[in-house]
Amino acid sequence: MSRNNGMDRRQLLKLAGLSAAGLGLTAAGCGSGSGGSGGPVTIRHAWWGADDRAKKVQQCVGLFEKKHPKIKVKTDFQQYPDFWKKFNTQAAGGNPPDVIQNAVTFLRKYEAKNVLLDLGPQAEKGNLDLGGFRSGLEKFAEIDGKLLGVPVGSNSMALVIDEKVYEKAGITPETGWTWDDWYAALRKIKDGQKIAGDAGPYGVMYLYDLILRQNGKAFFTEDGMGFGEAELLPYWTEALERVEAGLYADPGKVEQIKPASATAKGLSAGEFTWDNFSVRYSAEGSSSYGLAPIPSTDGKKTGQYLGSLMLSGTARTEHPAEVATFISFMTHDPEVARIMGYDRGVPATTAQFEAFQPTDAPSKAIAAYETSIADAGVLEPITPHPAGADVIEAAFLRIGADLALGKTSPKDSVKQFFSEAKTALAAN
Amino acid sequence: MTHIQISPGAVAPGDGRSVPGRSGPGDGPPPNGAKGTGRGENLAGYLFMSPWIAGFLFLIAGPMVFSLYLSFTEYNLFEAPRWIGLRNFTDMFADPRWRQSVKVTSWYVLIGTPVKLAAALAVAMLLAQKRWGQSFYRAAFYAPSLIGASVSAAIVWRALFSDDAIVDRTQKVLGFEAGGWIGDPEMIIYALIALTVWQFGAPMVIFLAGLKQVPQELYEAAEMDGAGRRRKFFHITLPMISPVLFFNVLLETIHSFQIFGSAYIVSNGSCGPADATLVYTCYLYEQGFVNSRMGFASAMGWLLLVAVGLVTAVLFRSQKRWVHYEEGGR
Repeated sequence: MSRNNGMDRRQLLKLAGLSAAGLGLTAAGCGSGSGGSGGPVTIRHAWWGADDRAKKVQQCVGLFEKKHPKIKVKTDFQQYPDFWKKFNTQAAGGNPPDVIQNAVTFLRKYEAKNVLLDLGPQAEKGNLDLGGFRSGLEKFAEIDGKLLGVPVGSNSMALVIDEKVYEKAGITPETGWTWDDWYAALRKIKDGQKIAGDAGPYGVMYLYDLILRQNGKAFFTEDGMGFGEAELLPYWTEALERVEAGLYADPGKVEQIKPASATAKGLSAGEFTWDNFSVRYSAEGSSSYGLAPIPSTDGKKTGQYLGSLMLSGTARTEHPAEVATFISFMTHDPEVARIMGYDRGVPATTAQFEAFQPTDAPSKAIAAYETSIADAGVLEPITPHPAGADVIEAAFLRIGADLALGKTSPKDSVKQFFSEAKTALAAN
Repeated sequence: MTHIQISPGAVAPGDGRSVPGRSGPGDGPPPNGAKGTGRGENLAGYLFMSPWIAGFLFLIAGPMVFSLYLSFTEYNLFEAPRWIGLRNFTDMFADPRWRQSVKVTSWYVLIGTPVKLAAALAVAMLLAQKRWGQSFYRAAFYAPSLIGASVSAAIVWRALFSDDAIVDRTQKVLGFEAGGWIGDPEMIIYALIALTVWQFGAPMVIFLAGLKQVPQELYEAAEMDGAGRRRKFFHITLPMISPVLFFNVLLETIHSFQIFGSAYIVSNGSCGPADATLVYTCYLYEQGFVNSRMGFASAMGWLLLVAVGLVTAVLFRSQKRWVHYEEGGR
């Protein structure tokens, strides 16, 4: 009986060995499929956005594959917060997508972890065209001499307003208006039109950054926070008073309509956001929406800068040349511009900017707005955010909302924010 | 192996320690062929178990041990874990959001579980009666248990409890101008509790099974002695189904501590407003996957395991006081 056992075990080992070899073979098969020099190469591209962006990107990918038959692009997308959760996990596991949509908040974070590909050498080899970018945008994602991303479009903060409400209230926002003018406008809207003037600016990090810049500071320095409790406490104290006075929308109601916009849903006459987001307002709401200039402290300096969505490669990619070719195509091809429109901001290259002539009112407004702030000469360079900036932004938004809902006092909110900011800077 | 080689005859009738059925046919090794269990059969046995063993080692035990190690480290997924001793735990107790998550979860467990079980028992008692269309009603009440934990049910819930939705309008008809529950930090937790209570079907079915086991003679005898409905419930029904009740309490309590999906979705992924639905696992997830503090998240996970273990132990201890097992019954 024991001899039989021995036989069984040997057979079993053989079997196990065979199946392991089989697995190895399959793995090798997969490897040669994507890594060989002759066959088509597959790269993975992931981005955040909604269905409409997905359709547009898919169209561009189809176009790219037609022009570059040896490169296949596999796509994947999620909503913004989910995208980063997934990417973080993939990157930690050593299996990130080859090309991702990226933003300035994440550059230093992932650079510190060696996740992003330096596209500089690819540009030198001629796989990536860095010519023809507007306003020096090609340098936008250059950090410590490394090119960590290429902008696909530019955007800037704006005040989106419900034009009908503003008109009825008899208010015309003009370049050079101040915060005092704006607060007076809020009061007039509240008293005359019985609607809150703003959705609640206290949690919008990029707006607070502008206010700080108007006063010679900034939200972030390169490695930490650019402001302290002395700045934030009065800002949040006044914000709470305006919520209670009804000048800012009821935060409980704003919470419930998320992810829709408060202004589009008629909860407020305006809100601060990125200008390219205004495309969605006419789809969500029934009024007509326009873009107004950012108020300033001294009537001149708005502190504005161009923000940008970009495409980045990841450092572990096996196909850096193909990654660069794809990014180059997405940023220069005129047909891509006609498909994408202003979905990711005003196109970053002149070729694409000229290829897309907006015909709808919101896009025309965006083009006019971007031209007006460029002409006004208010644009400043952006500070690359420190690692952990994304977590700090989320905390700013969340604690701002808690404050408005009356769950914490301004003093405790400020304390909690800086304590979380410290943790985030240390952890990332 | 020897401990299960008890021949059926060895069990004395009424032997309190042995559990009937343990040595029944088909359970143990064949009575006569005890010598047939050589190494070969052992090996085959382990071989058949190997997918499970491998899964357990690599997917459960391994990660658990690793997370125990991580709970004493600072780990952001990218750099190597750095040993920091007990600091994650001391940080936790000092963290107001962690305390908030403990508060929210405790409230959810303490309110949700009893209400859910009471609803389950009440409906089970109604459905235990012989009525026309009884199986239809059983299925109808059980259905929410099947779909209640799904994402779509949570999305529907969010819609039901928003401003100007059906719950808000009903409130207005009744004279409360309270507004929707979703945007109200005081009320949203009750929307979550309502969602779990709505899923009372699973414990209900278990209660139904328990109720069917209660001998009718007991009720008849009690009626002869003039017992009313209340008396019959508290002195016959409840004691007779107490093992089933214990099982349900245990299961639902452990289950409640693990609430994640419904809180995450009903709050639109924010576990808000104002951290009002920041249940323990929601905060754990946020710390681990959003804030990249995997060490802290692991420490939170282990503390939850210990807490649930303690609660379970307390429940088991309390059994002696209120759970009645029939002595020697079959």
